[in-house]
Amino acid sequence: MSEMKKIKNLKEFSTSADRFEGANLLCPGCAHSIIVREVLNATNDDLVLAASTGCLEVCTAVYPYTSWDASWIHIGFENGSTAVAGAEAMYKALKTKGRLKQPDRNPKFVAFGGDGASYDIGFQWISGCMERNHDMMYVVLDNEVYANTGGQRSSSTPIGASATTTPAGSISYGETKNKKDMMGIMAAHHIPYAAQVAPNKWKDMVKKIQKGFATEGAVFINAVSPCTTEWKFDPKDTMHLTDLATDSLVFPLYEIIDGHELNITYRPKNVVPVEEYLAAQGRFKHLFKDEYKYLIKEWQERVDANWAYLNRREEARV
Amino acid sequence: MATTGWDEFEIGAMLRTFEGEAGDIAGTLQEDRNYTENSSFTASVADWRIEKPVFNKDFCIDCQFCWVYCPDISIISRDKKMIGIDMDHCKGCGICVEVCPTNPKSLLMFPELADEETEIANWPAKETKEK
Repeated sequence: MSEMKKIKNLKEFSTSADRFEGANLLCPGCAHSIIVREVLNATNDDLVLAASTGCLEVCTAVYPYTSWDASWIHIGFENGSTAVAGAEAMYKALKTKGRLKQPDRNPKFVAFGGDGASYDIGFQWISGCMERNHDMMYVVLDNEVYANTGGQRSSSTPIGASATTTPAGSISYGETKNKKDMMGIMAAHHIPYAAQVAPNKWKDMVKKIQKGFATEGAVFINAVSPCTTEWKFDPKDTMHLTDLATDSLVFPLYEIIDGHELNITYRPKNVVPVEEYLAAQGRFKHLFKDEYKYLIKEWQERVDANWAYLNRREEARV
Repeated sequence: MATTGWDEFEIGAMLRTFEGEAGDIAGTLQEDRNYTENSSFTASVADWRIEKPVFNKDFCIDCQFCWVYCPDISIISRDKKMIGIDMDHCKGCGICVEVCPTNPKSLLMFPELADEETEIANWPAKETKEK
């Protein structure tokens, strides 16, 4: 087993040699590549990666270029998770048979997917990987919309958001369905480790990723990824938006071990009202009209209830 | 630009990032890597920029916030020091300027055609907070 990379502070982290390259075609200010860099830089081990179709896949593999400096598999919308699971199963089989040329290198298996590929289209494939408990990590880059194809709603889109298939207008306030609780569903598979992360809390994120790499078995990571194009904010505000998401508890940071041991890893000192988070994004602009103001109140109540639920679960250890 | 046609690839349609043996990539810095023409490192997105970041090292405290939050791997940090900006890969999003904690900021956005030396000479003074 290779040694875990030591990352005590940001200066130490900054000596990492990136294995993800620039001149990819992601939008300026896209949080996807920030998350990918933090994941890849958390380890020095070899990597076997795959990406399900989505912004990350189409923007980092534009013929004749690739932005990846590690083995990376370009695959369909639904099966990024199973491609990596298959590679992992093959690796294990070859290792048992003693047919690996360098058996001591211990590569890490990571699959990336957007929320469309994970919450909707690749859902049963991921569920299968988690159930079979492959020694891999699945990272969701959750931007709450099908950003690659033009901003259609996904089952991750929260109530009130205006998407191209749920547009806000005179008779609609946009998306009417609640966001799917993917973390809950994945933890219900009783996988060894599931965690929610945000790129602005890099230390929390690196710690969780390293914990995930050290864990034997399936690991599920849900990362919030503000989308400047579909959330409609200025590219320079990406980190500000992520700060608002974590500090308003819309996107709480926690981990679930073995499906029952829930730990909240970040408690904001000053909790920001949800209204501020909503006001920073163009997709919620219509909620500030008089007739839809009640939705903001409902948002706040929902977020508070979820936070209370997480706290109760942390205490009860169930 | 690669000269291989789409139908001339080896089986499995593989794009190789490095020439020859890759070895320990996680321990090799970008300037020491032997990239092929297929790595997007050899490409440029400089023409995406409307505004460019200018780095004034006089005020930099090497906190590395810009390095960790740069989406385009354009902040060059070596030996725990921020040494410059990779202008081939910077898309001009401005995140580095937003996360810079110094006063005055050690990174600021200027129009793409602005002259770097003039801007550094006319760098804004320290802001005092009014109570």
